[in-house]
Amino acid sequence: MDLLRRFALGEIDAFETLVRQFQGDIYAWIVRIVRDPGIAEDLTVETLWRIYRAHQQFRTDGNFGAWARRIATNLALDHLRRNRPEQSLLTEPHAATPPDHLLQQETRKKIQQAFRRLPAKLQVAATLALVEEQPYEEIADALGTSVGAVKLRVFRAVRILRKQLNHLGVRP
Amino acid sequence: MEGREVKEMNEYDDRQIREALKRSFPPINTELGRDLWPAVLRKLDTRPARVPWYDWALIALSASVLLFFPELILVFAYHL
Repeated sequence: MDLLRRFALGEIDAFETLVRQFQGDIYAWIVRIVRDPGIAEDLTVETLWRIYRAHQQFRTDGNFGAWARRIATNLALDHLRRNRPEQSLLTEPHAATPPDHLLQQETRKKIQQAFRRLPAKLQVAATLALVEEQPYEEIADALGTSVGAVKLRVFRAVRILRKQLNHLGVRP
Repeated sequence: MEGREVKEMNEYDDRQIREALKRSFPPINTELGRDLWPAVLRKLDTRPARVPWYDWALIALSASVLLFFPELILVFAYHL
Protein backbone atom coordinates (compact mmCIF):
# COMPACT_ATOMS: atom_id res chain seq x y z
CA MET A 1 0.00 0.00 0.00
CA ASP A 2 1.43 3.42 -0.84
CA LEU A 3 2.56 5.95 1.75
CA LEU A 4 -0.29 8.46 1.39
CA ARG A 5 -2.94 5.75 1.60
CA ARG A 6 -1.33 4.38 4.77
CA PHE A 7 -1.19 7.90 6.21
CA ALA A 8 -4.88 8.45 5.41
CA LEU A 9 -5.62 5.27 7.38
CA GLY A 10 -3.79 6.78 10.36
CA GLU A 11 -0.61 4.66 10.30
CA ILE A 12 1.93 6.44 12.47
CA ASP A 13 4.94 5.00 10.60
CA ALA A 14 3.67 6.45 7.34
CA PHE A 15 3.10 9.79 9.05
CA GLU A 16 6.66 9.76 10.44
CA THR A 17 8.04 9.23 6.93
CA LEU A 18 5.95 12.14 5.66
CA VAL A 19 7.06 14.37 8.55
CA ARG A 20 10.72 13.70 7.79
CA GLN A 21 10.06 14.35 4.12
CA PHE A 22 8.07 17.58 4.47
CA GLN A 23 9.05 19.22 7.78
CA GLY A 24 11.80 21.27 6.10
CA ASP A 25 9.46 22.64 3.42
CA ILE A 26 6.74 23.46 5.93
CA TYR A 27 9.20 25.22 8.24
CA ALA A 28 10.72 27.20 5.34
CA TRP A 29 7.27 28.37 4.26
CA ILE A 30 6.23 29.41 7.78
CA VAL A 31 9.49 31.17 8.64
CA ARG A 32 9.15 33.26 5.47
CA ILE A 33 5.82 34.50 6.77
CA VAL A 34 6.46 34.95 10.51
CA ARG A 35 10.20 35.73 10.19
CA ASP A 36 11.06 34.23 13.58
CA PRO A 37 12.80 30.81 13.70
CA GLY A 38 11.49 29.89 17.19
CA ILE A 39 7.89 30.72 16.38
CA ALA A 40 8.23 29.02 13.00
CA GLU A 41 9.37 25.78 14.69
CA ASP A 42 6.41 25.86 17.09
CA LEU A 43 3.99 26.51 14.24
CA THR A 44 5.56 23.70 12.19
CA VAL A 45 4.97 21.24 15.05
CA GLU A 46 1.39 22.52 15.38
CA THR A 47 0.90 22.16 11.61
CA LEU A 48 2.16 18.56 11.63
CA TRP A 49 -0.03 17.73 14.62
CA ARG A 50 -3.09 19.15 12.85
CA ILE A 51 -2.18 17.25 9.69
CA TYR A 52 -2.20 13.98 11.61
CA ARG A 53 -5.46 14.83 13.37
CA ALA A 54 -7.03 15.49 9.95
CA HIS A 55 -5.59 12.37 8.27
CA GLN A 56 -9.05 11.02 7.46
CA GLN A 57 -9.88 14.17 5.47
CA PHE A 58 -6.83 13.79 3.23
CA ARG A 59 -7.66 12.69 -0.32
CA THR A 60 -5.06 10.13 -1.33
CA ASP A 61 -5.07 11.39 -4.93
CA GLY A 62 -4.29 14.91 -3.66
CA ASN A 63 -1.01 16.74 -3.21
CA PHE A 64 0.24 16.26 0.37
CA GLY A 65 2.75 19.13 0.15
CA ALA A 66 0.14 21.64 -1.03
CA TRP A 67 -2.34 20.46 1.62
CA ALA A 68 0.31 20.82 4.36
CA ARG A 69 1.28 24.26 3.09
CA ARG A 70 -2.32 25.44 3.24
CA ILE A 71 -2.67 24.30 6.86
CA ALA A 72 0.66 25.96 7.67
CA THR A 73 -0.41 29.23 6.03
CA ASN A 74 -3.65 29.32 8.01
CA LEU A 75 -1.74 28.82 11.25
CA ALA A 76 0.79 31.52 10.34
CA LEU A 77 -2.11 33.86 9.48
CA ASP A 78 -3.72 33.20 12.88
CA HIS A 79 -0.40 33.92 14.55
CA LEU A 80 -0.06 37.27 12.74
CA ARG A 81 -3.66 38.17 13.61
CA ARG A 82 -3.07 37.44 17.30
CA ASN A 83 0.21 39.34 17.40
CA ARG A 84 -0.66 42.37 15.35
CA PRO A 85 0.81 45.49 17.06
CA GLU A 86 -1.91 47.70 18.48
CA GLN A 87 -0.03 50.91 19.25
CA SER A 88 -0.22 53.74 16.77
CA LEU A 89 2.81 54.91 14.87
CA LEU A 90 3.78 58.29 16.13
CA THR A 91 6.56 60.41 14.71
CA GLU A 92 9.08 61.42 17.32
CA PRO A 93 10.64 64.84 16.77
CA HIS A 94 14.43 64.92 16.57
CA ALA A 95 16.51 67.61 18.19
CA ALA A 96 19.09 67.43 15.45
CA THR A 97 19.20 65.68 12.10
CA PRO A 98 20.80 62.24 12.65
CA PRO A 99 23.54 60.97 10.33
CA ASP A 100 22.61 59.22 7.08
CA HIS A 101 23.04 55.61 8.25
CA LEU A 102 20.88 56.28 11.31
CA LEU A 103 18.22 57.84 9.11
CA GLN A 104 18.25 54.77 6.89
CA GLN A 105 18.03 52.49 9.90
CA GLU A 106 15.13 54.50 11.27
CA THR A 107 13.37 54.46 7.92
CA ARG A 108 13.70 50.66 7.74
CA LYS A 109 12.36 50.33 11.27
CA LYS A 110 9.36 52.49 10.43
CA ILE A 111 8.68 50.54 7.26
CA GLN A 112 8.84 47.28 9.23
CA GLN A 113 6.49 48.66 11.89
CA ALA A 114 4.03 49.97 9.32
CA PHE A 115 4.18 46.63 7.51
CA ARG A 116 3.42 44.64 10.67
CA ARG A 117 0.33 46.77 11.22
CA LEU A 118 -1.18 45.72 7.90
CA PRO A 119 -4.13 43.29 8.05
CA ALA A 120 -2.70 39.75 8.33
CA LYS A 121 -4.03 38.62 4.93
CA LEU A 122 -2.40 41.53 3.13
CA GLN A 123 0.80 41.10 5.12
CA VAL A 124 1.15 37.43 4.18
CA ALA A 125 0.52 38.07 0.49
CA ALA A 126 2.94 41.02 0.40
CA THR A 127 5.67 39.20 2.37
CA LEU A 128 5.57 36.15 0.14
CA ALA A 129 5.26 38.09 -3.12
CA LEU A 130 7.45 41.15 -2.56
CA VAL A 131 9.96 40.23 0.14
CA GLU A 132 10.35 36.51 -0.53
CA GLU A 133 9.51 36.72 -4.25
CA GLN A 134 7.56 33.45 -4.27
CA PRO A 135 5.53 32.61 -7.40
CA TYR A 136 1.98 34.02 -7.30
CA GLU A 137 0.54 30.60 -8.16
CA GLU A 138 2.13 29.03 -5.07
CA ILE A 139 0.95 31.87 -2.84
CA ALA A 140 -2.58 31.60 -4.22
CA ASP A 141 -2.58 27.85 -3.65
CA ALA A 142 -1.35 28.20 -0.07
CA LEU A 143 -3.95 30.88 0.69
CA GLY A 144 -6.72 28.93 -1.00
CA THR A 145 -7.50 31.78 -3.38
CA SER A 146 -6.87 32.91 -6.96
CA VAL A 147 -3.77 34.56 -8.42
CA GLY A 148 -5.88 37.66 -9.11
CA ALA A 149 -6.92 37.88 -5.46
CA VAL A 150 -3.28 37.61 -4.34
CA LYS A 151 -2.27 40.39 -6.74
CA LEU A 152 -5.09 42.53 -5.39
CA ARG A 153 -3.95 41.92 -1.81
CA VAL A 154 -0.38 42.89 -2.70
CA PHE A 155 -1.62 46.01 -4.46
CA ARG A 156 -3.75 46.97 -1.45
CA ALA A 157 -0.86 46.32 0.95
CA VAL A 158 1.44 48.62 -1.03
CA ARG A 159 -1.23 51.33 -1.21
CA ILE A 160 -1.88 51.22 2.54
CA LEU A 161 1.85 51.28 3.24
CA ARG A 162 2.29 54.26 0.93
CA LYS A 163 -0.42 56.18 2.78
CA GLN A 164 0.98 55.27 6.20
CA LEU A 165 4.52 56.19 5.25
CA ASN A 166 3.39 59.47 3.68
CA HIS A 167 1.51 60.20 6.90
CA LEU A 168 4.68 59.55 8.89
CA GLY A 169 6.75 61.64 6.53
CA VAL A 170 8.91 58.66 5.57
CA ARG A 171 10.38 58.62 2.08
CA PRO A 172 11.30 55.05 1.16
CA MET B 1 -3.21 65.61 -17.66
CA GLU B 2 -3.11 66.19 -13.90
CA GLY B 3 -4.76 62.82 -13.26
CA ARG B 4 -2.14 61.08 -15.36
CA GLU B 5 0.67 62.79 -13.46
CA VAL B 6 -0.84 61.74 -10.13
CA LYS B 7 -1.15 58.16 -11.42
CA GLU B 8 2.47 58.13 -12.56
CA MET B 9 3.56 59.59 -9.25
CA ASN B 10 1.64 56.89 -7.36
CA GLU B 11 3.14 54.17 -9.54
CA TYR B 12 6.60 55.58 -8.88
CA ASP B 13 5.89 55.61 -5.11
CA ASP B 14 4.61 52.03 -5.27
CA ARG B 15 7.80 50.89 -6.97
CA GLN B 16 9.84 52.70 -4.31
CA ILE B 17 7.85 50.99 -1.56
CA ARG B 18 8.33 47.55 -3.10
CA GLU B 19 12.08 48.14 -3.22
CA ALA B 20 12.15 49.62 0.30
CA LEU B 21 10.33 46.54 1.60
CA LYS B 22 13.02 44.26 0.21
CA ARG B 23 15.69 46.39 1.86
CA SER B 24 13.83 46.54 5.18
CA PHE B 25 13.43 42.77 5.53
CA PRO B 26 16.81 41.09 5.18
CA PRO B 27 16.86 37.50 3.86
CA ILE B 28 16.00 34.93 6.52
CA ASN B 29 17.56 31.49 6.94
CA THR B 30 14.91 28.98 5.89
CA GLU B 31 16.89 25.84 6.84
CA LEU B 32 15.32 23.81 9.64
CA GLY B 33 17.95 23.33 12.33
CA ARG B 34 16.61 20.16 13.99
CA ASP B 35 14.33 17.20 13.53
CA LEU B 36 10.84 18.07 14.75
CA TRP B 37 9.48 14.50 14.80
CA PRO B 38 10.13 13.99 18.57
CA ALA B 39 8.22 17.21 19.35
CA VAL B 40 5.35 16.14 17.06
CA LEU B 41 5.24 12.73 18.72
CA ARG B 42 5.14 14.30 22.20
CA LYS B 43 2.27 16.53 21.09
CA LEU B 44 0.40 13.56 19.65
CA ASP B 45 0.85 11.65 22.91
CA THR B 46 -0.63 14.37 25.10
CA ARG B 47 -4.23 13.55 25.68
CA PRO B 48 -6.80 16.34 25.57
CA ALA B 49 -7.89 17.59 29.00
CA ARG B 50 -10.68 15.45 30.46
CA VAL B 51 -13.79 16.80 32.13
CA PRO B 52 -13.68 15.64 35.80
CA TRP B 53 -16.49 13.37 37.06
CA TYR B 54 -17.90 16.00 39.47
CA ASP B 55 -18.46 18.41 36.53
CA TRP B 56 -20.51 15.69 34.80
CA ALA B 57 -22.41 15.15 38.08
CA LEU B 58 -23.15 18.90 38.32
CA ILE B 59 -24.35 19.02 34.72
CA ALA B 60 -26.60 15.98 35.32
CA LEU B 61 -28.00 17.51 38.51
CA SER B 62 -28.74 20.84 36.80
CA ALA B 63 -30.41 19.07 33.87
CA SER B 64 -32.61 16.97 36.20
CA VAL B 65 -33.65 20.03 38.24
CA LEU B 66 -34.67 21.86 35.05
CA LEU B 67 -36.46 18.74 33.80
CA PHE B 68 -38.54 18.34 36.96
CA PHE B 69 -39.06 22.06 37.58
CA PRO B 70 -39.25 23.65 34.08
CA GLU B 71 -40.64 26.92 35.52
CA LEU B 72 -37.12 27.54 36.86
CA ILE B 73 -35.99 28.20 33.28
CA LEU B 74 -38.05 31.41 33.34
CA VAL B 75 -36.49 32.42 36.67
CA PHE B 76 -33.01 31.86 35.27
CA ALA B 77 -33.87 33.70 32.05
CA TYR B 78 -35.15 36.66 34.10
CA HIS B 79 -31.85 36.89 35.99
CA LEU B 80 -29.61 36.59 32.91
